[in-house]
Amino acid sequence: MDDQNPQVGSDEARLDALFMAYREACPDREPGADFMPQLWQKIEARDRVSTVFGRLARNLVTAALALSVLLGLAVSLSSHVAPLPSQSYVEVLAEDHARQSLDYFEPAEIVPAADQR
Amino acid sequence: MLVDYELIQRARAGDGAAFNQVVLAYRKRILGTIARLISRPEDVEDVGQEVFLRLYFSLDQLRSAEVFEPWLYRLTANAAYDYLRKRRRRMESRMADLSEQQVLAADALAGGKADRDEGQRKSVRETVDALLGRVSEEDRVLLMLKEVEGLSLKELGKIYHVKENALKVRLFRARQRVLKAFAASRKQSAGVTGSR
Repeated sequence: MDDQNPQVGSDEARLDALFMAYREACPDREPGADFMPQLWQKIEARDRVSTVFGRLARNLVTAALALSVLLGLAVSLSSHVAPLPSQSYVEVLAEDHARQSLDYFEPAEIVPAADQR
Repeated sequence: MLVDYELIQRARAGDGAAFNQVVLAYRKRILGTIARLISRPEDVEDVGQEVFLRLYFSLDQLRSAEVFEPWLYRLTANAAYDYLRKRRRRMESRMADLSEQQVLAADALAGGKADRDEGQRKSVRETVDALLGRVSEEDRVLLMLKEVEGLSLKELGKIYHVKENALKVRLFRARQRVLKAFAASRKQSAGVTGSR
């Protein structure tokens, strides 16, 4: 529909011409004399940063590995010192409860009074 | 291609001298593209250096030397997009940001009626910059690559890794928005001059 509207068609053509004028208004440009030296400076600076971060990351990984080995050793040693009980928790609890119940139901000793003897 | 594949392969392998030669071959073209994408002459070299910096650190990810140019354009488009997004100097779609004189000068230039001196060229740059404020930074870059840089849909597809039909739709919508703004500005300036 827009194609039949001459105004729209003329705007389209004018916009195209404007883009073309813009292209001419911004020609390819020669870089300044500092372009290459500055670029290499930036590359070296970023390279340094990434090297420092890389080294830091490697050190962190090494430290984490060493720590996990130490923790593993500590855990295995502590398991030798205090071996796990052969009974389960429930069994230990039941036994303990039974012992307490026996104490509770233990018949009291009746000692007859002296005048009743 | 402005350089041969072998040079790119050497740059990929970490040869600094080869990389230097690649930059020397492409820098003028890339700086021109950036100048047109961002409309800010004073920042062109900074953005250009960012493009080559990204190229230096991503060359090892390049699949083959044959896709070097689309790759470089992709880096250029991304760097320009990042710059524009940071700048957020969008004109918020207000043609009031453009003086009547600018619109008339741009209109005369578009009609090919004027001699193009530096003042008028500046006027064209500002007009197009303001018109492109109507679309997102992403669409602005896409539209510039198509309309001003003259890249084909096929080339754009290679740069963006997007199907041509999707690009067509996107470009059409972006262009319609810019066209609407352009028509409105012309109408407005015609109204102002007519009422005098």
